[in-house]
Amino acid sequence: MANESVDTAAAARPRLPVLALPTEGLLANRKVQVAAMILVPILALTAFAPLLPLQAPLETNLRAIMQAPSIEHPFGTDRMGRDVLARTLAGVKVSLLVGFSVASIALVAGMVLGTLAGFFGGVIDRVVMTVVDIFLAFPSLLLAIGLVAIVGTGLIPVITAIAMADVPRFIRLQRSQVLSLRSRPFIDAARTVRASKGWMMTRHIIPNTVAPMLVAGSIASANAILVEASLSFLGLGIMPPAPSLGNIIRDGQTYLQEAWWISTLPGIVILLIAFALHFLSDGAREELDPRARK
Amino acid sequence: MTYQSELAPTLLEVRGLRTEFDTRAGTVTAVDGVSFTIDKGERVAIVGESGSGKSAMAMSLLRLLAHPGRVAGGQVLLDGRDLARLSERALNAIRGREVGTVFQDPMSSLDPVMKISRQMVEPIMRNLGLPREAARAEAIRWLDKVGIPDPAGRIDAYPFEMSGGMRQRVMIAMALSCRPRLIIADEPTTALDVTIQAQIVAMLKDLTAEAGAAMMFITHDLGLVARFAHKVAVMYAGRIVEFGPVDAIFAAPQHPYTQSLLRTIPSVGATKDTRLPQIPGIPPDMRHKPEGCAFRARCAVAVSRCAVDVPDLTARTGDLVAACWVEGGLRAAPKALEPRRRVAAPLDDTRVTVEINNLVKHFEGRAFLPRNRRAVRAVNGVSLRVRKGDTLGIVGESGCGKSTVARLLLGLEQPTSGEIFIEGLAQMVFQDPFSSFNPKMTIARIIDEPLAVQNWGDRPARAERVEQLITQVGLEPAHLARYPSQLSGGQRQRVAIARALALNPSVVVADEPTSALDVSVRAQIINLLADLKAELGISFVFISHDLLTVRYISDRIAVMYLGEVVEYGPAEDVFDRPMHPYTRALIDAVPIPDPRLEAARSNAPLRGDLPSPLDLPVGCVFASRCPMATELCRTDKPVLKKYRHSQEAACHYAK
Repeated sequence: MANESVDTAAAARPRLPVLALPTEGLLANRKVQVAAMILVPILALTAFAPLLPLQAPLETNLRAIMQAPSIEHPFGTDRMGRDVLARTLAGVKVSLLVGFSVASIALVAGMVLGTLAGFFGGVIDRVVMTVVDIFLAFPSLLLAIGLVAIVGTGLIPVITAIAMADVPRFIRLQRSQVLSLRSRPFIDAARTVRASKGWMMTRHIIPNTVAPMLVAGSIASANAILVEASLSFLGLGIMPPAPSLGNIIRDGQTYLQEAWWISTLPGIVILLIAFALHFLSDGAREELDPRARK
Repeated sequence: MTYQSELAPTLLEVRGLRTEFDTRAGTVTAVDGVSFTIDKGERVAIVGESGSGKSAMAMSLLRLLAHPGRVAGGQVLLDGRDLARLSERALNAIRGREVGTVFQDPMSSLDPVMKISRQMVEPIMRNLGLPREAARAEAIRWLDKVGIPDPAGRIDAYPFEMSGGMRQRVMIAMALSCRPRLIIADEPTTALDVTIQAQIVAMLKDLTAEAGAAMMFITHDLGLVARFAHKVAVMYAGRIVEFGPVDAIFAAPQHPYTQSLLRTIPSVGATKDTRLPQIPGIPPDMRHKPEGCAFRARCAVAVSRCAVDVPDLTARTGDLVAACWVEGGLRAAPKALEPRRRVAAPLDDTRVTVEINNLVKHFEGRAFLPRNRRAVRAVNGVSLRVRKGDTLGIVGESGCGKSTVARLLLGLEQPTSGEIFIEGLAQMVFQDPFSSFNPKMTIARIIDEPLAVQNWGDRPARAERVEQLITQVGLEPAHLARYPSQLSGGQRQRVAIARALALNPSVVVADEPTSALDVSVRAQIINLLADLKAELGISFVFISHDLLTVRYISDRIAVMYLGEVVEYGPAEDVFDRPMHPYTRALIDAVPIPDPRLEAARSNAPLRGDLPSPLDLPVGCVFASRCPMATELCRTDKPVLKKYRHSQEAACHYAK
């Protein structure tokens, strides 16, 4: 974002003006702390997975199939003797990639289209909102399934499909924020100095919508991770042997009686991630909107 | 004193009341050891600025505080019974039955989805033990008493079907209908227009006297206090700093805060070259309350003891009690005269900066069928001129179109017809400075914005200009790095003024620039505007419902009613010798902060509400409320005509 401030202030400015997130408050928030305690170790393990003394995720070892968790294989092994922890970590990488990409796409598209629709109104608004309403009429998982059926499986189609279902909701949220901001006196103040529409949108409207959109984004990323897992579980997402939390759980499902760890442990990981992301968004909402505090 | 009965006169006695709010930053003591008494049938005004704890105190009496507030100590004795110790259940029997309440915003205190009848009849049945039919008759009788036309029909209306003034009347009828012995009214007229306020206050006064109820009236308006109260309690930073009979408080106040507060109000005879005496500084932040006397930092006569010990209320002359270590308060120090303002000599050239000709603005209503579309006629043929360096004051009640005129002047709305000529640039100072700033911008960026938009100079030049502007409005360059939420209300309005001045405008439009501010900082802003006008020679359009302030700051005044200018002329003439009956009614409705003057005034308030701007009358717009309207007024529309030297009025009977 452009940064047209006066130099005297630039030196003393305590934080990035566009986001202006209450960083200190966020770090002190209990829920954010809990989320961090879950997410940071998972992220670290995922990032440093190749350095860990584990089998490669795709490497099979038919002499050690379906082994219970041990020091050597903390999450046990599956029916082809692959290390479940290594596969889980690789799956987490896919999950996080999907979550992050979907949230980013939804945020950017939602912000651009929602701002245009809300700020200009008229024909633009009607066209955008009609399309949005049509998309919103489908349940998001069904929409994703349908899209995957059309474009095929794999990482990129999965991300596209989930994002397509999320974008309309982000447009809605952004538009409603813009509509209420548009009539605020500080927009009138900018109009009295003949500020252009682009100026008003980039300096006044968008910076004031970022925080709630980020909160929505963190929920959307949790949701995207779950939808990706569901799609992969149904065999419509990431295709084996490439690991994803969804298809690992699907693999292990058949052996729940004999080898509970194959499905259960990755399942717990996905639960933890979704839980942490929701906690993060909850905590962020509390800090960004003081009224949400009890 | 005739209003006190002989036997056991005390109705309410509050002793050492403490109210605390548990916040993240720690415990805030909003009410810090407040003690006072209210006698039967007595009207006591509680005066204070926002944050002084006056509302928290009133809410504490009936334990109506919202979370996280709680009563931390003290006694609330109603006829000797301690309400602070009663169970919630027992207290509920007192609420409404023995103590009635009227709040500021009648819309949020009435249930929007319940008919008035349901909200009124059931409490009456419960509290007076009447059967439904009798309770309904009783409710209708009270609605009639508070001046609701057609009460038997209106009792089945919903709150949204009534105007603000009507809703407040309903609230008062509800509060009085259970015949309480004490009414707590928290700023009951703040949300209303002056003429409606005058009606409500007169009615409250009559009805409480008739019912023999005592009343606790919370307000920040000293004029209302003078009109209304028997006794006054002045609150500052959670404590009562002065308490006593209304005449004594206004004639010879003893506490420096009361004294300075009374001096800051523009008096009826104030001249333009005298600056208003102002209280320096801002009210203390209740989260970090200073040691000793809370007013010390703003007090001209503070002594070293004030920094250490908190003064208690002690008896003074004239039945007053005041909490100050300095006997006589400000009178202990020689009165420092405010420096005279150098008034710019009247400019010889009669160049006109703003000219408005026959301006009309209609807002089209939305309806599916074109014939159902009705236009709100907000501005109906207004013509005004502002000469270079002059200040035009526009007064009128809400809905009179004064703010629409301002928005048209600034190009925020397009006129339906008519012309606006402005030589140079018009800039605006908004009513609520906080909402007129982008909360995500620093003060530096806020003041810089007009310059940056217009590509004024390069960055260093703009930075220099911003610093010059911030010092011009009396702030420090250090404030530039802050965000709006880190400034006080008065500081924010100074920033708004700096921003309006950035592009060297020829006219600044100020729409109610002081009404969102604390009483003690209003004078600072008015002085600043008047100083800037004298220094820079720019024109001002000053829009307000506060007639005393408009008179003080304006050279000319235009009085608007329902989208039309009904009177126009030099400020002193319009104020001292009003020609239009509406102007006269408006001036009469404004309470003057002097009980003796108030008692001498004819307080017959204007009757009725404003007609809807959806269908305006054929003849004179004011005819429906005018005491001297005739058949002619209802059929023929009077036009603005020149009377006397330079005063104009739109009335058939103006002389």
